Amino acid sequence: MKKLRRFIKRLTSWATTPRDEERLRAEIEEHLGFQIEDNLRAGLSPQEARRQAVLKFGAVEAVKEDYRDRRGMPLMESLVQDTRYSLRRLRKSPAFTVTVVLTLALGIGATTSIFTLVHAVLLKSLAVANPSELYRLGKQARCCYWPAYSQDKEFSIVSYDLYKQFRDNTPGFAELAAFQAGGALFGVRRTGARESAQSIPGEFVSGNYFNMFGVRAYAGRMLAPSDDRAGAPPVAVMSYRLWQQRYGSDPSVVGGVFNLDEKPVTVVGIAPPSFFGDQLRPVPPDFFLPLNAELAVEGVDDLNQAESWLDLIGRIRPGAKTASIEAEMRVELQQWLRSHWGDMDANDRARLPEQTLFLEPGGAGISNMRDQYEHWLQVLMMVSGFVLLIVCANVANLMLVRGMERRRQISLSMALGARAGRLVQQALTESVLLGIVGGAAGLAIAFAGTRLILDIVFPRIPGLGGVPISASPSTPVLVFTLAVSLLTGIAFGIAPAWVTARVDPIEALRGASRSTARAGSLPRKTLVVLQAALSLVLLTASGLLTAALGNLENQKFGFVQDGRMIVSIDARLAGYHGDQLAALYTRLQDSLSRVPGVSAVALCLLSPQGGNNWGGTVWADGHPPPGPRDDNFAFWDRVTPGFFDAVGNRILRGRAISEEDTADSQHVVVINEAFARKFFRNEDPIGKYFGRPGVSAGSSHQYEVVGVAQDARYLNFDFDKPISPFFFLPAAQYDIFKTGAMDPDPGSHFLHDIVVVTRTGANPSFAQLRQAIASVDPNLPVVSMQSLREQVAGQFGQQRLLAWLTSFFGALSLILASIGLYGITAYNAGRRTNEIGVRLALGATRAQAASLIIQGAFVLVAVGLVLGIPLALAAGRFLGSQLYGLNPYDPAVILVAAMTLGCSALAAAFAPALRASRISPSAALRTE
Amino acid sequence: MSEAKNKKDVLQGTLALMALKTLDVLGPLHGYGIARRIEQISGDLLSVNQGTLYPVLLKLEQEGSIASEWGASQNNRKARFYRLTRAGRKQLQAETRDWEQTAAIIGRFFAAKAEELK
Repeated sequence: MKKLRRFIKRLTSWATTPRDEERLRAEIEEHLGFQIEDNLRAGLSPQEARRQAVLKFGAVEAVKEDYRDRRGMPLMESLVQDTRYSLRRLRKSPAFTVTVVLTLALGIGATTSIFTLVHAVLLKSLAVANPSELYRLGKQARCCYWPAYSQDKEFSIVSYDLYKQFRDNTPGFAELAAFQAGGALFGVRRTGARESAQSIPGEFVSGNYFNMFGVRAYAGRMLAPSDDRAGAPPVAVMSYRLWQQRYGSDPSVVGGVFNLDEKPVTVVGIAPPSFFGDQLRPVPPDFFLPLNAELAVEGVDDLNQAESWLDLIGRIRPGAKTASIEAEMRVELQQWLRSHWGDMDANDRARLPEQTLFLEPGGAGISNMRDQYEHWLQVLMMVSGFVLLIVCANVANLMLVRGMERRRQISLSMALGARAGRLVQQALTESVLLGIVGGAAGLAIAFAGTRLILDIVFPRIPGLGGVPISASPSTPVLVFTLAVSLLTGIAFGIAPAWVTARVDPIEALRGASRSTARAGSLPRKTLVVLQAALSLVLLTASGLLTAALGNLENQKFGFVQDGRMIVSIDARLAGYHGDQLAALYTRLQDSLSRVPGVSAVALCLLSPQGGNNWGGTVWADGHPPPGPRDDNFAFWDRVTPGFFDAVGNRILRGRAISEEDTADSQHVVVINEAFARKFFRNEDPIGKYFGRPGVSAGSSHQYEVVGVAQDARYLNFDFDKPISPFFFLPAAQYDIFKTGAMDPDPGSHFLHDIVVVTRTGANPSFAQLRQAIASVDPNLPVVSMQSLREQVAGQFGQQRLLAWLTSFFGALSLILASIGLYGITAYNAGRRTNEIGVRLALGATRAQAASLIIQGAFVLVAVGLVLGIPLALAAGRFLGSQLYGLNPYDPAVILVAAMTLGCSALAAAFAPALRASRISPSAALRTE
Repeated sequence: MSEAKNKKDVLQGTLALMALKTLDVLGPLHGYGIARRIEQISGDLLSVNQGTLYPVLLKLEQEGSIASEWGASQNNRKARFYRLTRAGRKQLQAETRDWEQTAAIIGRFFAAKAEELK
């Protein structure tokens, strides 16, 4: 109680400081007055009376100080005082302040910028109600379509039938929603509007999707279970972004009819602005349609086919145990699988007992991007952390130099009775203040940096939504930056403050402070060693990443990049049917061939490095049918005649796909070398047959191999692995399915990419190509258009950015370390002027004098190297998969990094050494 | 350093008690008066700078044991007068009791003969 009362008094008296000061002054005056009077009465002279009175009273300043300590909030007050003092001091040395603030801003900005991405991609939950109640099926994010009855390791996506099984039999979920794994692309046109269709991403979701997320409509209504029934009129929810950007927030959009793939769909509502779907994606979906609308809109009946294509997220009931829900669902899965025993093939049956599933926290949605970017972000976080450390070391060094200049002043303060703690507090206040100012400036850098990284990693496509990550700092980012700024301020302030506290008051009284100067340079040397070690790590990392990037970019792709353009189209969005495609392709080829400068045109399902892939299992003729654990997977592509010449993929044996391969002729295939090695080991593949289980009715006699193509990198992943087995089917030949029907999903016949080969020197414009396509069909959407070289280069944006940022920071840290080294070398050279003068006078040569200084610098760098090399090795190990097979301990890279550091050390020590060699012995001795 | 601080704390604790007792006995008094009185009673045994009294008075005032106001002294000098509050009187009684107890215990220890402690 008493304490509280005192505290309140202190608080109020803190506000009334000047009045209290005045009161104390008056009281002391009054006290002295009384005493002097008494002394006068005792017969002392007026002068002596005053002297005695003051003596008796004691040290007035000490009393005042004690009084102040008891009165207000001494800590607060001295903080305010120190801050004011620091600001004044910083204003007086603008060059120092600007340098430090800029250096700090760079370090803190880099860290904050990366943290913004880490927060958005790795830490943040979806913008939905109570994300902690959400659980998703599966540890791995899987795309598109997976087998119906057996999945490797776990069931992470399911068929519609299995979804219904889980939804109706798992009471632990308050709501269990399903949505397409992957996503859809719609050709969108507002009904009645005179515009050509634009391709816009969307997603098919179950009717309870929005209900499960607890997301309310911004306008209109969200989807309801009643919308998701067979025969219900097709409806859609539109994203806020599309509504605002493309339709200017037009209220009549709600209730309006839109043509999606030329099918009328009514938009019933607008999703809230913060909602970007069930996962973070580079391009978020703009339309959400009920699962049951898929048949009507896309003409595909995924609901009644067995394959898995749905992701699941559910909201658990309050108090429900996820472990028991998971156990329940495993039982349901096994029951469901057994009930489909008749539909399973032998391999599915063999693998039935091991089929299981996992529930994972789903508050962040499906973790596709997280899996993809986690390690990349960790590397960037590590790099920026190192940069911050180097920045701290550098600023600490600057502060130490500044501290040296203040030594006299500090020792004087101490001699006058300043407490060491108070001086340390003052020094720390200054550094924390610098840290905070640097942090504020860093926020601006972070914003620009994040924007830049986002633009490079996720290039914006005009008309589509960008990745839903905001570069402007959110509250957690601001808190992070503040914490980093404070920590930084303390980190780089602690060494100078410590040095301050150790200043000997006697020094002030001594003339030159020579005797203790050496002791002061130890912390600076330590910092320089630290900087050298950290620089080595960053230089090694940047060397490794740059070398890995070079390997990626200059690898043997197996196709020709120059003089090729890739035009992507989507015939499905323009409402084409399977039987119209052959004619369309011929007309496109004819039209594009007539463009001046074009020498050849071919179409394919996926072009090299186009980012798409199709794959499936293969059964080679003459071999036993693949068992449950056999790896018999191969990727495939569908191409028109002339494709191999168009991309410059050499045919090594046999022939390419040609005009003679028609719908009615023998089904043929061209394989790559890897395929031949894997499935026809020690055999001549030409003339051999293979089939695809599931496609041809249990046949291994489906395709005849007519040619072997050189291995080429078509896929944009697994760059660190050998090229995968690949086969190429003719666009003209349709597969016969197990059911006897012709390919029920003619998806693979909608060829996506057109390869346009141009003559050397000729450079037809995009507009000319676009015109040629529009002359065939003005409604055919052109999704993208770029040179094959750009398409290949586009695959390595992430790696390039990483290598680029690491190199930038590596160079920066090298410069900072060199400056630090120069500073300490020059300082020590200055200190040793006398010594060198004596040595020169005693017969040392000038070269010896110079080498003395250079040696000093090299000892520091050598210690830095010794410390840095193990760290650099560890960093190489940490980079791991980012190096795409490059040796993480590559001695050449480490050697180059060490030599770079050595060269800059030499450069840094050169000027001081030169100066030392020019010392005139007589002048040096005279200064003694 | 810490030893010196402890000593000062003890000193200030006793100073506070002396100041309270002085005000109790003599009624409202200014700082100089309190200092003089303490000096007279303790003689030169307590060689304390008079200035140290003021922070102690401030602390007592913050705790509510004493109150102060400006007034005029006998010879018409403006001076700040301190007086004991009701809480201060209670505190003085409590502390006097404590002090006497402590003193009594210490006194008994010092008076004890070696054989009595066996």
